[in-house]
Amino acid sequence: MCYDNAIMSPEVLAYPFLFIAIFFESFVLVTLLSKPAREARARTASVTLPSVAVIVPCYNEETTVARTCESLLALHYPSDKLEVILVDDGSTDATAGAIARFAAHPQVRIISKENGGKHTALNAGIAATRADIVGCLDADSFVEPDALREIIPCFADVQVAAVTAAMSVHEPGNVLQHMQNAEYLFGITLRHAIASVNGLYVTPGPFSFYRRAIVEELGGFRYGHQTEDMEMALRIQRAGYGIENAPHARVYTKAPGTILKLLKQRTRWTTGFLRNVLGEYRGLIANRRHGVLGVLILPSALIAIGSGMLLFFLMLFMLVRNVATALSIRAGIPFSYAYLPSGSLDWFYLPVSFYLLLGVITLLASLSLIVAGKRISKAPGNIALGLVSYTFLYSLIVPFWLLTATADVALGARRRWR
Amino acid sequence: MSLVVRNALIALLVTIVLAGTVAYAISYLNRARITELSAIEDQLSIDILSLDTQFSLLEAAPCDSTASSTTLTSELANMGTRLSYAENQLGSDNTQVVRLKEQYSLLEIRDYLITKQLAAACGARPTTVLYFYSNAGDCADCDKAGYALSYLRDTFPSLRVYSFDYNLDLGALETFIAVTKVKRDLPAFVINGKPYYGFTSLADLEKQFPKGALATSTSKL
Repeated sequence: MCYDNAIMSPEVLAYPFLFIAIFFESFVLVTLLSKPAREARARTASVTLPSVAVIVPCYNEETTVARTCESLLALHYPSDKLEVILVDDGSTDATAGAIARFAAHPQVRIISKENGGKHTALNAGIAATRADIVGCLDADSFVEPDALREIIPCFADVQVAAVTAAMSVHEPGNVLQHMQNAEYLFGITLRHAIASVNGLYVTPGPFSFYRRAIVEELGGFRYGHQTEDMEMALRIQRAGYGIENAPHARVYTKAPGTILKLLKQRTRWTTGFLRNVLGEYRGLIANRRHGVLGVLILPSALIAIGSGMLLFFLMLFMLVRNVATALSIRAGIPFSYAYLPSGSLDWFYLPVSFYLLLGVITLLASLSLIVAGKRISKAPGNIALGLVSYTFLYSLIVPFWLLTATADVALGARRRWR
Repeated sequence: MSLVVRNALIALLVTIVLAGTVAYAISYLNRARITELSAIEDQLSIDILSLDTQFSLLEAAPCDSTASSTTLTSELANMGTRLSYAENQLGSDNTQVVRLKEQYSLLEIRDYLITKQLAAACGARPTTVLYFYSNAGDCADCDKAGYALSYLRDTFPSLRVYSFDYNLDLGALETFIAVTKVKRDLPAFVINGKPYYGFTSLADLEKQFPKGALATSTSKL
């Protein structure tokens, strides 16, 4: 009666990380219920409307840019105060033709330039406008008509330099896109809660807005290790300005439909984060002067990268060890006895452990934050498939981009954007 | 106190409460397991004592009671499986587990002796296996041997398997080991009184059984 003996379990290594994950999720939930977040949700659409320019940097976006532009022109905003700047960053496909049809539109301005990267396209757009507020919309994203009017009130505080929107996936098709949609909804909650205590460190490409004067004061967009939106947000934070979030400003973005494309995108984001935060902006980490961003958010994000990899390896190790042990013990025993389920369910053999239950709590908290994101933003669509795919797929895929990104940073490897 | 600090303290409190609740739930479940094991063991103890007493009261062997003896052996096996699971969950050095294992070993020895007495009195020839193992890390094949025996026991209900932790500090077990002359070469088996050491495969183990012992029909005992 000694089979499956207990040995010192490596699960213990995971406890601190699971504890930190639950703490962080609890912090987000508590902050979500706090007064600043409640007030942000109750914010009403703006009455005073400043001049706004939305820049659409395009590089080989022939299939989506027209629809992106149309969604901008459909914004409920006075036409004399809204201009759309389409910047063709040296596309090699039919993007130029796709945007040419808007050339005669009084609100649209088209800039064509040699390819120089997204940050140069944004700077070209900023240089071409005198609007008080400049925004960015990736050419594969689309906005709800009231999105801009949800954004503008966030600039009421003069210290606010940037405002982010509530992003979700545009028409998720396959399981992978549904999984990303759930993740984006999680991001809506996270961004909304963290923004209420000024802890954001990224102003995503889809529909983030900036006070033009401050962007110019800070020197415009930079390459930022292929994450110009993150670099700009970190620069804004370092300069002491605030970054707000408009949780009802809905924007939809195309999500990668294959694992390889997703890994490439996320590797770029993660390497950008590591290179920016551990490089030029390492002074923000654990810096009390930068409040919750320095003391909690950036350290948590770094820990999340480390723990994501550690938990993956731990899970892999335990899986391989348990399977190998089970196979070894069952070798030579008839298949029907060794591998087919038999007997009835018995609570006595319920395989619960501290590790498993903490993991379940972490997952449940994540799922509740996803549901909260959908409710807060009123994003359309059913999230059932998203919740299921997030539960079973997400933690299996994430470690791969964390590993690739960490290896790239450690080895100094550079990858192409696409 | 700033909002962030207040929220962080609340989040910390929530996390501690959740982790504490999880720890309590697991502890509660383990206590419930021990309670169930104790209850089963108490019942088994009474049943075996009853059978023993019944046997002693009658001059001739109460061969009618062989059915209840078989049932008891089956319940003992079920108890053994549960005890093994509890040992994995709580650790082999857990004092309650050790106490339950000691009681279990005594019950097994007692059942083994009754089985032998009934067999002699009623003229039956049950196949009994005494299995000695160690989970002190010095028996690489004990897990495999234990699983193979579980398979044989479940497949051939007439088989009577008694498992003993060779390292258990129990006087009766030490005497039993001395009487059966089992060496510390684990895993060790005593199949119908004949010792056999080591485990290579199920097929090799099956060869050690008397002809016809591994039949699917149940014997008288």
